[in-house]
Amino acid sequence: MSKREVYVIGYGITKFGEHYELNPSFSASQALSKAIQDAKISKDLIQSLYFGSLVSNRNGQSYIGGEASRECNLNIPITKIDVGNASGAGAFHQAFLAIKSGLDCIAVLGTEKLSDFVNSSTLEKILGGTIDYQWEFEQGATLTSLYAWMTQAHMKEFNTTMEQLASVPVKNHKNGVNNPIAQFRREISLKRFLDAKRISDPIGRFDPATHCDGSAAVVIASKEFVESHTEIERKVKVVGSAQSSDKIALHHRENLSSLLATQIASKKAYEMAQISSKDISIAEVHDSYPIGEILAIEDLGFFQKGDGGGATIDGKTQLNSDISVNTSGGLKARGDPFGATGIAQIIEIVQQMRKEADERQVDDIKYGLTQNVMGTGASVLVNILSNMEDDK
Amino acid sequence: MEPPKIWRERREKYLALGILCQECKKKSFPITQYCPHCSSKNITELKLAQTGKILHFTRVSQTAEELMFYAPYIISLVELDDGIKVTGQITDIKLEELSEGTKVRMVFRVLSKNGEEGLIGYGFKFVPI
Repeated sequence: MSKREVYVIGYGITKFGEHYELNPSFSASQALSKAIQDAKISKDLIQSLYFGSLVSNRNGQSYIGGEASRECNLNIPITKIDVGNASGAGAFHQAFLAIKSGLDCIAVLGTEKLSDFVNSSTLEKILGGTIDYQWEFEQGATLTSLYAWMTQAHMKEFNTTMEQLASVPVKNHKNGVNNPIAQFRREISLKRFLDAKRISDPIGRFDPATHCDGSAAVVIASKEFVESHTEIERKVKVVGSAQSSDKIALHHRENLSSLLATQIASKKAYEMAQISSKDISIAEVHDSYPIGEILAIEDLGFFQKGDGGGATIDGKTQLNSDISVNTSGGLKARGDPFGATGIAQIIEIVQQMRKEADERQVDDIKYGLTQNVMGTGASVLVNILSNMEDDK
Repeated sequence: MEPPKIWRERREKYLALGILCQECKKKSFPITQYCPHCSSKNITELKLAQTGKILHFTRVSQTAEELMFYAPYIISLVELDDGIKVTGQITDIKLEELSEGTKVRMVFRVLSKNGEEGLIGYGFKFVPI
């Protein structure tokens, strides 16, 4: 990999939630123009736009990135990156590689408009495309039911309890209270999670992250670009970016209690950053279901395999603890507009490093990590950002 | 589901077929052109074992319109007696009566209905033995 250094120089994000009044391209262009303004550079310096979205082709316009760039008056290459519901991080990873390959300044946009799907069956079918469509989805499985099996497998192998699982969304809702763009800014009690009806046992009604509307964008640039443009005030270095995949169907995997793609992608990202999991202070991980965060904090190496549930209920992942996980509220409290989520995770780390996170600010951050998952782990992206002045 | 897709998948879905690699002798499911273990093209069709046991199961109450006909239903990860694992519904039994390790048998059933006039999708499900 080339030695060119990559920086996030600006971000823009919209309020996540149900925005029936907003046209899909409105929120996308809002996030994009905010990101360009935040970078303080002239928009004409942006050489390319990568955008990630899972369903933007299902509500008519397949090329939302194109609409947003028209509204921002840009005549640059626009490319949609598809990594299912991890398309945001997928677009970011491709933009990172493009800077490494010689480009100097790129905008990355993640956007989704899910409140148009008032019939939840339509969205379930779209999500069926992120698992094995023919041999899982058409056989009757859904994303939720497959996560239920993964939860069962972890509970059986490591004695993970329902209380430990519920402590994941309890913590994330607590963090989400202080995130102005989060869909749900209120706490939910452990009891409420435990007492909720089981939709796909052991997954309860309040466990899944909600599918909502939202857009997030960042502008990234090379070190040379940053040095030659003094108008850029703030920059956060991207020291690692990696993607890995695994068998799409759970029936083809050896075990269901870990995500191999997370393990491989994080190993690659740590190697690129020349750090270990111990160096990470904050992490934004894919908690679309409670087990998702437990698998993540184990497979990323923050805790021993099997200790994720215990660590969470003991508060080891809460704000300003050993490692602060999902300070934004995670997918659970922030809401999950698929393509926007991967970028929103990166923005949370950038905000934390720029000390703009107000009540949810974590002290003394060295490295921050994001993990974005496609389907049940068929593809995983890991990005590492650094706050260190002088990096290795 | 579209008619060409139903037609194309009729054998593997209706007959529950996998492959046996003549090079590495490993079995796999579903039918692929190359052995997923050793990439050999020297493969033959294999009829899956008709019985197995439940590894995981849970309830599905919300899914695509064409699959909602029998919802809520039970979806399960089944390990067949030949070692191959498949995803399939468990039918003719209540969720409360099931447990991990329950022995099941493959049956031919309706999987999806595209409204009143659309094509019916058939495939395999499982019933407890």
